[in-house]
Amino acid sequence: MTVGSTGTPTTRVIGALALLITGWVVVSAFFITPADSVQGDSVRIMYAHVPTAWIAYLAFVTTAIASGFSVARRHRTLGFDRVAGASAEVGVLFMAMTLITGSLWGRLTWGTFWQWDPRLTTTLFLFVTYVGYLAVRRIDTDPRQRASRSSVIALLAVLEIPLVHFSVVLWRSLHQEASVLNTDGDVRLDGLMLFTLFSGVVAFTLIFAWLVIHRQRLTTLSDLERVVGLDAAITARRAENSAGVTA
Amino acid sequence: MDLTPREVSEAPRPRRRILPAVVAVLAAVGGLAVVAVFLTSSIDYYCNVDEVGVRDGCADDQRLRVQGNVDEGSLQSRAGQTSFVMSFNGVSLPVDYEGEPGGVFQECIPVVAHGRVVDGILVATRIEVKHSNEYKAENADRLDQAEKSACS
Repeated sequence: MTVGSTGTPTTRVIGALALLITGWVVVSAFFITPADSVQGDSVRIMYAHVPTAWIAYLAFVTTAIASGFSVARRHRTLGFDRVAGASAEVGVLFMAMTLITGSLWGRLTWGTFWQWDPRLTTTLFLFVTYVGYLAVRRIDTDPRQRASRSSVIALLAVLEIPLVHFSVVLWRSLHQEASVLNTDGDVRLDGLMLFTLFSGVVAFTLIFAWLVIHRQRLTTLSDLERVVGLDAAITARRAENSAGVTA
Repeated sequence: MDLTPREVSEAPRPRRRILPAVVAVLAAVGGLAVVAVFLTSSIDYYCNVDEVGVRDGCADDQRLRVQGNVDEGSLQSRAGQTSFVMSFNGVSLPVDYEGEPGGVFQECIPVVAHGRVVDGILVATRIEVKHSNEYKAENADRLDQAEKSACS
C-alpha cells in the first residue's frame, strides 16, 4: 500500500468481482427475470431492496463484533474500532437505500410511500440509532475514549436487529413476512427470481467488504496524519523554544 | 521545556467494571421484551374484519384500520366512488371509499382500510394493499390457473 492509495491487489479483485456480479444482477433484474403475477414490474425493486437490508444487518453485526473485540482487548489497538466505525458507516448507507427502495416499492404495491407499521418504524429506528452511533464517533475526543463510548452503543444497538427482522411475526404489519429467511423455512420465490436475489446479496456483500476495507484504511491514514501533525507541531515548538533561549 | 513523549508506565490498569455493561444489556433486553409481550395490541397495525367490535382496541365507534380480503365480484367503481366487501374468517364488512385505491388493488387481495364504521359500512379514507410474501412469475399458465381458482 502506498501513501495516498488504500487499494491492494486483494481489494482490486474484490472490486472487480463486485462490478461483474452487480452487472449481472442489473441485467437479470431488468431484462431476464419475469414480472411478478401480482406486482408486475415493481418486483424488480426487490433485487436491490432485500440485499441492502440484509447487508445493513451484516454491517451492524460486524460493528458489534468488532466493538466486542475492541472492548475485550481494552482498546490497546484501535484497529477493531476503526473496522466498527467503517462498517457502521456503510451499514447506514445501505439502510438508507433499504428505506428509499422500500418506500418506492410501497407506493407501487401498497399505494403509499410510508406507514408507521411495526416493520417500517423499527427499521427507521434502527437507522436513526446508527446515525446517532456515527454522531457519537464524530465527537472530538481521545480515540480510545471514542472507542469505549461507541463500543457500548454498538453492543446495545445490535439488539434491535432481531426486533426489526421479527417485527412482522411478532405484530400485525402492513409489510409482508419474509419470503426467504422465514420461520417455516419455505422459500416463496420462483427459481430465477431467487437466483437473482442471491446474486444481489453476493454483489452487495462484496461492495460492503470493499467499502469497509477502504474506509478502515482511510481512517488509519487519517489517524496517522494527526500523529504526524502533532509530531511536527512539537518539533516546531521545540525550535521556537531553543530560538528563544539563544536570543 | 521537555516535550519528549514519556514512556508508558507499567502501572496496573484500573479493573474494568463489568456490572454496568451487564445491567445495560439486561435493561435493553428487558425493554424489548416489554415491548414485544405487553404492548402487542397497541403496536398491531390493524384489526381483522372478524375482530371489529370484539377485540380490545377494535371498538367500532372509533377510527380503525381493518384488514380483510376483497370479495370476488364485490368491487364496484362509479363516479369516483369505490365500494367492495372485505372478509376475514367468514365475517364480511362492506367498504365505501371516495377515490380509486392505489397500488395493486384488485379483487381477492388482502387490503387494509382506514376509516370509521357508519351504519355497518366502513367509510374508508385510505386503502392499502397488503401484499403476500409470495413472488410468482407472471405467465399465461399461471394466469389461467388464477382465473380458474380465483380467491380460492
